[in-house]
Amino acid sequence: MKRETDYGHPIKTFYHPNDIEGLDYNRDLGDPGSYPYTRGYYPDGYRKRVWTQRMTAGLGSSRQTNEVLKRYREMGQRGGMLVICDRTNAMPIDPDHPIGRREAGVLGWPGASLFEFEQLMDDIPLTGQSITLLGSCAMSSIRLAYIVALAEKRGIHLKDVHGSVTEYPFCTTFGQTDAQPLDLDLKLWLDSSEYIVRNKIRMRSGILSQHFQESGGNNAQALAVEMAMLKELCSLLVHERGLDFDDVAFLPYELVSVGSRFFEEIAKIRALRRMWAKMAKEIFKAKKERSCHLLISVHTSGRTMTYQQPLNNIARCAIQTLAGAIAGCTAIDNACLDNAHAEPSPLAARMSLNTQHIVADETGVTDVADPLAGSYFVEYLTNKVEEEAYQIWNEIEEMGGMIAAVEKGFVQKMLKESAQEKHREVESGERLIVGVNELVIPPEEDYQIPIQELKTSDSEDIARRMEEWKKSRNMPLINQKMAQLCVDAKKEDKYNLMPSIIEAVKAYATAGEIMGVIRKARGLSYDPLQAIDCPFDLQ
Amino acid sequence: MGERTAIRVLVTVIGLDGHSTGAEVVSRMLMDAGIEVVYLGIYQTPEMIIQAAIQEDVDVIGISSHASNYGQIVDLLELLKKNHLNNIRVICGGTIPNQQVQELKEKGVSEVFLPQSTSTSIVNYIVSHVKKPKMLAT
Repeated sequence: MKRETDYGHPIKTFYHPNDIEGLDYNRDLGDPGSYPYTRGYYPDGYRKRVWTQRMTAGLGSSRQTNEVLKRYREMGQRGGMLVICDRTNAMPIDPDHPIGRREAGVLGWPGASLFEFEQLMDDIPLTGQSITLLGSCAMSSIRLAYIVALAEKRGIHLKDVHGSVTEYPFCTTFGQTDAQPLDLDLKLWLDSSEYIVRNKIRMRSGILSQHFQESGGNNAQALAVEMAMLKELCSLLVHERGLDFDDVAFLPYELVSVGSRFFEEIAKIRALRRMWAKMAKEIFKAKKERSCHLLISVHTSGRTMTYQQPLNNIARCAIQTLAGAIAGCTAIDNACLDNAHAEPSPLAARMSLNTQHIVADETGVTDVADPLAGSYFVEYLTNKVEEEAYQIWNEIEEMGGMIAAVEKGFVQKMLKESAQEKHREVESGERLIVGVNELVIPPEEDYQIPIQELKTSDSEDIARRMEEWKKSRNMPLINQKMAQLCVDAKKEDKYNLMPSIIEAVKAYATAGEIMGVIRKARGLSYDPLQAIDCPFDLQ
Repeated sequence: MGERTAIRVLVTVIGLDGHSTGAEVVSRMLMDAGIEVVYLGIYQTPEMIIQAAIQEDVDVIGISSHASNYGQIVDLLELLKKNHLNNIRVICGGTIPNQQVQELKEKGVSEVFLPQSTSTSIVNYIVSHVKKPKMLAT
């Protein structure tokens, strides 16, 4: 068995004060609540507020997802709701698109219009809990428009809504892939981010290393990529959009993937806090202390959930949840025991939420902030992962930053090689996974778990309903809004499309239509899959 | 033109599924075993896959599936039959629930490789089921 970190650094039998020689408590750690925030942002840890305990929802129709959200509340979801969008919406194309209709509602919520969002949120408050919608970058501005429009319809002040509905442009490279070119994703992300910051909306934007790690990247790479993304995207908002860093710093949130390498995952999160704080102060010259705080949420790793002996995943989930809690985070959502089989069944969802409550309420982990600080091993690992990450990050910077590194294929190559290495390590038995290459049982003896299934006919039902609903809309109004959107989308990239997207969303234009018109204005095909023509008469 | 000696496998992801890591890892392992790989990548419709399979004269189509869109794998099988391409085997891999594995096999998928299948099992299956590579068209 390999005695190395996830990123290939040898691990000794024990650690000693010499291994962290030079560690200066005040300079490198600080008390919880003090710069450089290695030990967390709050002196009282979780005592005032335990992390948000949530589960990902989204499968089938908006009505079905709405019911699941209500059930999660009964199951102990606390502080926030989390919905993931389906594959049609990631592109985005509409569920009644000839290709979309084959898989509407697959892997998520088919959130193609304000009408769907209204159904999703039926009888669910927009305030008093964080509203998080996960999906592709391309949809960021449209999801934000849903929030703006629904708040207005319900007579709620936008400033009372909090959560996150927008996601980073690199997600199309190694996460929630969409069908848009990187320059368009980047423009739409900058538009939505600028709109959030200028209007002081309490919505965060996901700049996530979770996708990268879940696709096979290692801890040090994930940390490096996260920092490179944060630096590039914050720089663009400051330098291209003319925003103040102390306002921009409130925008990003990081969803960290936490796998089973317990100590390494905790070290990674501690290092991330320190690296962000240093960047905020030293590179961006932050004036406010709060700008040194990066909102960090944890997703326990779906990649580590095995198909074989799925009940073993309950144990993995518990270990990972404990790691996330010890590391210190604002929210946790868990991968479920059935992650390698299907979307969460009610049983699997309940087990995951129960796991979070067991960790929070039974282990004592919420009593003390950063309980592993001062451990020679954990401090060594924190320094080491930071050092390795700085090296990779420097390489990315030398290439010209994250966008340049993606355009050159550097990040993709690094990810591919790491995924292959992980596969090789399991095949050779260098890394052991119970039920996979250790303590294997014949498939016929394996436990049967309930499977949450989605039938092809469900997708067709969603598509048909959309076709019917589309006919009921005020088409002259939509035509007018689309014409305006097209005019605006032809202007320079810095011209913010959010106001015209919000108008189109309020008129019940769909995601496929809005993105199609923007694409057309930029000289692209209306339909990214080139199966349908533009239905609007645009000049 | 001579006789093609290597087995040729088309590796792809069907429909709107964006999970490409599995397909990429499997492509590499097949190439390392001396198998020729035609990697189509993501967002492939059954029609696009069939077209590429004909153009590239492949022996096997490998579908990586992580998005429960099995209907499109069935569509692909039907298109193969319609185009009299019965000599091309379809194999699948990924997070496919047990019940679906049975259904896909009944509908004509040759084999389904579950998560964490070994390189050896995948390569051996392909090598032992594709015995005689076809002649290259001259």
